[in-house]
Amino acid sequence: MSPDQKPNQRPELAALDDATVAQALTRMHLIRKFEEAAEASYMRGLIHGTMHLSIGQEASAVGTTLPLEAHDYILSTHRGHGHCIARGAEPKLMFAEFFGKETGYCKGRGGSMHIADVDGGNLGANGIVGGGLPIAVGVGMSIKAQKNGRVCMVFFGDGASNEGAFHEALNMASIWKLPVVFVCENNKYGMSMDISRAMAVTNVADRAAAYAMPGHCLDGNDLAGVAAVAREAIARARSGEGPSLIECKTYRWRGHSKSDRNLYRTKEEIEEWRAQDPIRRLEDELKAHDRFDAAALMKLEEDAQRDIDAAVEFARACPDPDPKDLTRDVYAL
Amino acid sequence: MPVEVILPKVDMDMETGTIEAWHVKEGDLVRQGDTIFEIGTNKAVMEVEAPASGAIRGIKLETGVPITVGTPVAWIYLDGEAATTPSEPAAAAASVAAATSNPEGASPASGASAAQSVAPGLRATPLARRMARQNGLDLKAVAGTGPRGRIGEADVKRHLEQRPRCAPAQETRPAPVPAASNSEGRLQPFSAIRRIVANRLSESMRTAPHFYLTSEIEMSASRDLLRRLAARHERIGVPKPSITVLIARIAARILRDHPVINASAEGEATRFHERIDIGIAMERDGDLVVPVLRDAGNMDMPAMTREFARLRDGMARRTLTPAELGGGTFTISNLGMYGVDSFTAIINPPQGAILAVGQTVDKPVGRDGQIVLRPMANFTLSSDHRIVDGVAAARFMADLREALESPEVLL
Amino acid sequence: MPSDTLEAAAEIRELSYAEAVREALGQAMEADERVFLFGEDVGVYGGAFGVSGDLVHRFGKERVIDTPISELGIAGAAVGAAITGMRPVLEIQFSDFVTLAMEQLVNQAAKIRFMFGGKASVPMVVRLPGGSGTGAAAQHSQSLEAWFAHVPGLKVLQPSTPHDAKGMLLAAIDDPNPVLIFEHKLLYKTKGHVPAEAYRVPIGQAAIRREGTDVTIVGSSIMARKAEAAAERLAADGISAEVIDLRSIRPIDFTTIAESVRKTHRLLVVYEGVKTMGIGAEISAMIAESEVFDFLDAPIIRLGGADAPIPYNPVLEKAAVPQEDDIVTAATNLVRRGEA
Repeated sequence: MSPDQKPNQRPELAALDDATVAQALTRMHLIRKFEEAAEASYMRGLIHGTMHLSIGQEASAVGTTLPLEAHDYILSTHRGHGHCIARGAEPKLMFAEFFGKETGYCKGRGGSMHIADVDGGNLGANGIVGGGLPIAVGVGMSIKAQKNGRVCMVFFGDGASNEGAFHEALNMASIWKLPVVFVCENNKYGMSMDISRAMAVTNVADRAAAYAMPGHCLDGNDLAGVAAVAREAIARARSGEGPSLIECKTYRWRGHSKSDRNLYRTKEEIEEWRAQDPIRRLEDELKAHDRFDAAALMKLEEDAQRDIDAAVEFARACPDPDPKDLTRDVYAL
Repeated sequence: MPVEVILPKVDMDMETGTIEAWHVKEGDLVRQGDTIFEIGTNKAVMEVEAPASGAIRGIKLETGVPITVGTPVAWIYLDGEAATTPSEPAAAAASVAAATSNPEGASPASGASAAQSVAPGLRATPLARRMARQNGLDLKAVAGTGPRGRIGEADVKRHLEQRPRCAPAQETRPAPVPAASNSEGRLQPFSAIRRIVANRLSESMRTAPHFYLTSEIEMSASRDLLRRLAARHERIGVPKPSITVLIARIAARILRDHPVINASAEGEATRFHERIDIGIAMERDGDLVVPVLRDAGNMDMPAMTREFARLRDGMARRTLTPAELGGGTFTISNLGMYGVDSFTAIINPPQGAILAVGQTVDKPVGRDGQIVLRPMANFTLSSDHRIVDGVAAARFMADLREALESPEVLL
Repeated sequence: MPSDTLEAAAEIRELSYAEAVREALGQAMEADERVFLFGEDVGVYGGAFGVSGDLVHRFGKERVIDTPISELGIAGAAVGAAITGMRPVLEIQFSDFVTLAMEQLVNQAAKIRFMFGGKASVPMVVRLPGGSGTGAAAQHSQSLEAWFAHVPGLKVLQPSTPHDAKGMLLAAIDDPNPVLIFEHKLLYKTKGHVPAEAYRVPIGQAAIRREGTDVTIVGSSIMARKAEAAAERLAADGISAEVIDLRSIRPIDFTTIAESVRKTHRLLVVYEGVKTMGIGAEISAMIAESEVFDFLDAPIIRLGGADAPIPYNPVLEKAAVPQEDDIVTAATNLVRRGEA
């Protein structure tokens, strides 16, 4: 059955065919399972540093990137596992990186905050809040100079929108009409600082007006809605009309990092947002419109879990880097 | 812990001293208070006593080279104490050969002693040290001409050039080169004090332009006064005054009116001394020493006589401190008792003048148109022309004559 | 040196330092479409110090790009362009303003290759006019090169002659790493022989500007020129100074310095940046740690900038950084007295 035949289906959801929806759901499951497994590995002492989990934000990562083409670029953040997986990164190589192995995406040199897959168009997560924003401008300049028709999507958080880098980058991207899509994942807190105390405006998207670009304020837990707006912004960028700012309002269920004791928010608030689980919302909507039955949905989740389990096993068996190679990649030769 | 024996500070402005002689040798048992070595300052030689009883070890053998005050020069080990400790200088010295023969492959332990193979306080550039290693040279034997006595490449080169081809490397000081024409006879190295005197007087002659004024002065009244003072001193239990003390007393009195004679050259300035401290040149075991009558301007004859006696006695017993043997503002040298008629003396630097006194002899002189015999003596003032002019010196001599001829007026 | 043979073949002509930089930029852009210039007022204005000059007219405003006053943004843009196949050459109008761009240069440009396990390279060039002597005071006169020399992943150059300014800039544009070139503002008008063709001066090789036997004077940028002038005067006074122009402070050509010190036994390091924790400290330490230590016949002397911001008053400004007289005095004392 084709989706447009279903009654009362939102156009945003109707615009996604079954294969696309299944792929999106798989990626959302992979993200969540990946992060749950990372968390479990961390608790078992297998992971050396800290990590920033995006559980609860999966619709934003997957929805915004869904309309990108294979050769497009993304720039990610410290909470960037979702963006990598959404762009097709292999969980086993990500786990290898987490475990600091030579086989990891960055040969164990970068860890959780610096996963990159330059050949795959992932120009890197970033440990600096707002670090990727000016870089996106340069990527946009490259695309324009090379006339290769690509788009650069740069992720950042609500906290980064208070950095000077945000304003410099949006301004330059706008004056030069660069093919950049700015995606703010507003999860309400810059570490512990509530946006209502950190921002003079209510919505990050309101700031787009200062740079004469469209600003979209979205329910970031609605995959179909996010994908629809992203498709529009990507098309605008690709056509040379310039950048857009998308704000996905979402929520991280876990703390800022593994050392967060959640002193700045209530259990009730967390429960309220858990009820807005982007994966369950999508599944419920698909079931309601008879596009997938429960068994099919269950299978997608189980397959994802199996992939993640295998990825952990792979990574644990990989070799550590050799200390004699410490300075090998400081300079290109 | 063994007790450290340091090179002590024995004079106020002393920064370095030299060990002139050791009275003990390695392993000797000493009692606290025993004299263990002699230290030379730029003024005198002092004896240093053992600070504790026990066996003496780790003697820093080299003598005659300047050592910074406070540097350990030996250790006294109490009964039963192990003879080796990491800081023991002898152990470090003994490791020099091993360390230098294998500088790269040294174990951590021998590396530590190699680090100590250079005498504490010895300053040398890395290049100088390297050259010394290569030439089997002990840097302690090399005189440094750099800042703070640092030994540099040039010093080592100079030393190597001067070193006799077959001489052992451990020679501490180049032997004096004997005069080519006369290499026989006994060659006696300078004593410490002789070396100090030699250096100071050479420096005086080199840097201070001397000039000399001589006056022949009648001593009748001074002799009479001495006789009367002797009687008075006997009554109050003071030794008999000597002619030297009387001259010192008179000089001290008139120096008040001649500040430029009681002065020193200091760089390009004249230092006028507030106090009058008169040094009296004396002889001890063939060496020249100059004990000082401190604040002589404020002493009467009994006080000065007593102080002079104390100094002479202390000098003979070698109990005077360097402070008592230096730092005068004017010096008197009297060689009259040896029958010397007159002589010129070398100024005791940095003082500005010295008075040389000859013997008093009866001489025919003209008085009121008659030739009569009178006791006469020659006084020669050597002055540093940088700070004393001829007329100033002549005025001093005129006052000296007047005072010696009528001493009671002054005293 | 290869550049010397090139010079011999080239026509003898003189350019100013600024002209030499411009010539290199033009030749690089002609040879490689990936190369583009950007920065504040580099377009029709021609650059604050006239370095980019007429390049916008030759290559168009798509390749000679005026940017907003957004140092952090443009530094990041250089990074982004570099990792996606371009060869950006960025001008930071005054090197002092690089403080605003530190994040992108230090956290991003320098580290991306390493953080990504060698799977990216950041071939970008940043030109930074710096140094004192123009009366521009504390926020427009600094010498901050040592800050960046402290960062693994960056290369830091300080050419002192028009010849090197051109040859090193071309080498920097070829280099697959982020390269910062600190150009002393007082050098822009100095003239020298510059071959017409596009030649490269290898990065990381010091130049011996004058051979000598009594003391090694190491400097870079304008200090290398001052050291050369000082050496001329020292020669008249019977002191033979060897002058080493570092040209590159990261990577640093330690071998050339060490070989010279092994010969002269004395080392004087001259640099305009603040003396404390500066380039001189690093060079001194490298010598002290090396086997050349055993060839030192005097303490190593550093002549560096005063522990003060650069003042406005011209007398104070001169006093704040080493001058030719200071070099002559220091070298003389080092040779004659064994200390500063």
